[in-house]
Amino acid sequence: MRVTGNAFAQSLLQQIHLLTSRQYRLQNQVATGQRIQNPEDDPAAMQRALGLQAETATLQQYRANLDTLKERAQVTFDALKALKRVSDRATELATLADGTRSRDELRIYAAEVTQLIHQAVQILNQKHRGAHLFGGTRTDQPPFVLTADTDGRVTSVTYQGNADVALTPIDQGVTFGLDIPGANLTGAGPRGLVSDTRTNADLFAHLIALQDRLLAGDTNAIAQTVRPALLQDEENLLYHIGNQGALQTRIETAISLADKRLLALDQAVSREVDADLADTLVRLNQTQYAYQAALQSGAGILRLSLLDFLR
Amino acid sequence: MLGLFGTLNLGTRALQTQQLGVEVAGQNLANVNNPAYARQKVLLQSAPTLPSLIGPQGTGVEAVAIRHMRSAILDSQVQNEQSVGGFWTAQQNALQTAQANLGEQLDRLAQGLNGSSAVAEAGTVSGLAGELSGLFNAFRAVAAAPHSLPERQVLLAQAQTLSARFNQIARRFDQLTDQLNTGLGRDVATVNQLLADIARLNDQIVNAELPLGGIANDLRDTRQQKLEELSRYLAIQTALAPNGTVSVSVNGITLVADRNVLDTIETYDPSNGRLLLRTANGSAPLQPTSGSLAGTIEVRDTTLAGLRGDLDTLASQIIAQINAVHRTGYSLTGETGADFFTGTDAITMAVSSDLAADPARVQAAGRAGAPGDNTVALALAQLADQPVAALGNRTFQDYYSQMVAQLGLGLRNANGQLADHQLVLNLLHRQRDALGGVSLDEEMTDLIRYQKAYEASARLIVTLDEMLETVLSLKR
Repeated sequence: MRVTGNAFAQSLLQQIHLLTSRQYRLQNQVATGQRIQNPEDDPAAMQRALGLQAETATLQQYRANLDTLKERAQVTFDALKALKRVSDRATELATLADGTRSRDELRIYAAEVTQLIHQAVQILNQKHRGAHLFGGTRTDQPPFVLTADTDGRVTSVTYQGNADVALTPIDQGVTFGLDIPGANLTGAGPRGLVSDTRTNADLFAHLIALQDRLLAGDTNAIAQTVRPALLQDEENLLYHIGNQGALQTRIETAISLADKRLLALDQAVSREVDADLADTLVRLNQTQYAYQAALQSGAGILRLSLLDFLR
Repeated sequence: MLGLFGTLNLGTRALQTQQLGVEVAGQNLANVNNPAYARQKVLLQSAPTLPSLIGPQGTGVEAVAIRHMRSAILDSQVQNEQSVGGFWTAQQNALQTAQANLGEQLDRLAQGLNGSSAVAEAGTVSGLAGELSGLFNAFRAVAAAPHSLPERQVLLAQAQTLSARFNQIARRFDQLTDQLNTGLGRDVATVNQLLADIARLNDQIVNAELPLGGIANDLRDTRQQKLEELSRYLAIQTALAPNGTVSVSVNGITLVADRNVLDTIETYDPSNGRLLLRTANGSAPLQPTSGSLAGTIEVRDTTLAGLRGDLDTLASQIIAQINAVHRTGYSLTGETGADFFTGTDAITMAVSSDLAADPARVQAAGRAGAPGDNTVALALAQLADQPVAALGNRTFQDYYSQMVAQLGLGLRNANGQLADHQLVLNLLHRQRDALGGVSLDEEMTDLIRYQKAYEASARLIVTLDEMLETVLSLKR
């Protein structure tokens, strides 16, 4: 084939262009660590990577939701423990108030029970991050309303929340109900914390009964009806404490699972997107050598022509 | 026998012929860097013989023509390949702009494993995909704390970012269509200018060749260059007439014949804002199959129009699906029935101004008077995982990822086609160069050959001069 000087220069130029663009791409890959940046680089991998990234972002949100739940579970659990102490002391007082106690002693016990009721209402009405914990989904107002007569005696504690529990999404299609409604008198749904028609638990009614009987000095009634009822309330409370413990474990498990999946997802994205650095560097070196060689040999040949040898 | 004077004539003719050879070599050397130029060669032939007693005797040499080294087949192949190149370059340019407009880039260094990287501001999320999952994640966050205003605020900000992104991308795509239309108009003007140039060159060629015969090499070179330039815009068919003119036609419609432009092309709006081509005189619609005009029209009306339509479908489905669920909910302040998004497509999509003004009015609860109820927020979050019939039973995210992949595939295809085209064009150029390219070495050798021959012919004349002198000195 007849090769002219210009054809030679042109083909050298094309080769140098090609090598330069290869160097550019490889250098870009080395600098970013990525094989793919734009959809044109690998459309299928890009599509998969976008899916994986969306999944990662979603999982991160689930992970954040789990953190929120974990914090609330901690607060709920602390409240339950405090409530258990109230219940324990009430049961203890119901046991102490037998026939051997004087009316004065019983009145003192009654005053303590009144305080215990106040304390329980305070515990149950507590807010966490602006929302009441035990009002079902009615989180904007205190779930329990205490009324007392002029002597300071508690006459009633009424529940103004509802029996609903908000379900928090913690994974695709998986929700998690952590909250405990303060009371459930509907006979269905989640079990109420202090009163539930299915277990006959009604802590406040029984505490008020204890307070009233103590004031009336009716130790018999205390022993026969109030104390067993309080024990039933304690059972109910223990159920919730046990349940919360189990829920906390579930949250922990879900968190560690989410962390592992995040790592796996990151690896999956990496497999789709990341450049093999060793391989890329080797290829970059090869291209650089080729570039140098092309320049050097090309420059040598381009300089020479027949003109150099004619006088 | 030629005799002394006859031989003197032979020497003179030889001198002239060798000088012509030097002149043509000089012309070749002068045009060594002219891309339109094909090297020229002097065709030599022995001069007519004279009868003599010992048989016909030669009378020296004469130049019969100056030929340029061109192959009509190679030229037409280059022409076709130029059209292919124009077609795919137009597609590549438009798709590259579209890819940049969509802004979907992967940047893993800016993103930490838990999304909490310190370099997040370096542009972690670019493009719609991130904003889309961001919206549904914001719904999930509201579902985890339905009473909380900060989460609602984040949700609204995220929804505003998403709609702004939709608006922006849709506007950019519309602008791209406008730019392509403007480009078409500009290219059509160039095409018409080239048609006029070709007709003018036809005229000049006839004028140059007709009186004396022979071939107007340089004019033909220039015309071939114009034809190739024209082919980049429009796939043309050419035919060489016996008088040396070239006729140019597109899809059977003759635009240039003999020395005249019969018809030009123009753009027209088929009342959808997407300019098409037709002939100016006959108003016949023109659908070129190749060349940059065809590439621009095709990429604008298929890939880009498809993407733009998909963008609208996606936006309208997001608006419709989210609104349908949101309307059933109750806000913290007790309202119900309000829309989350306003607008109907990508360009009009916006967050309801009532909600944007007061995050409490996001209707996350399933019943009134229960701020802790998250039923609707949960249902909204779950929309992310639900296939939508109008999107071909795909989720929003899948639908969008597929859009991106489709654009990527289109661009990748254009890149590949263009690389192929470059290879073919390079090969054709090499072949053409092998035939018609000017080689300095070759011309230098020719120069020396003709110079030596010139010297030899001069020597012949000197010898004859001496011989004549000898003859004249016989008689003193």
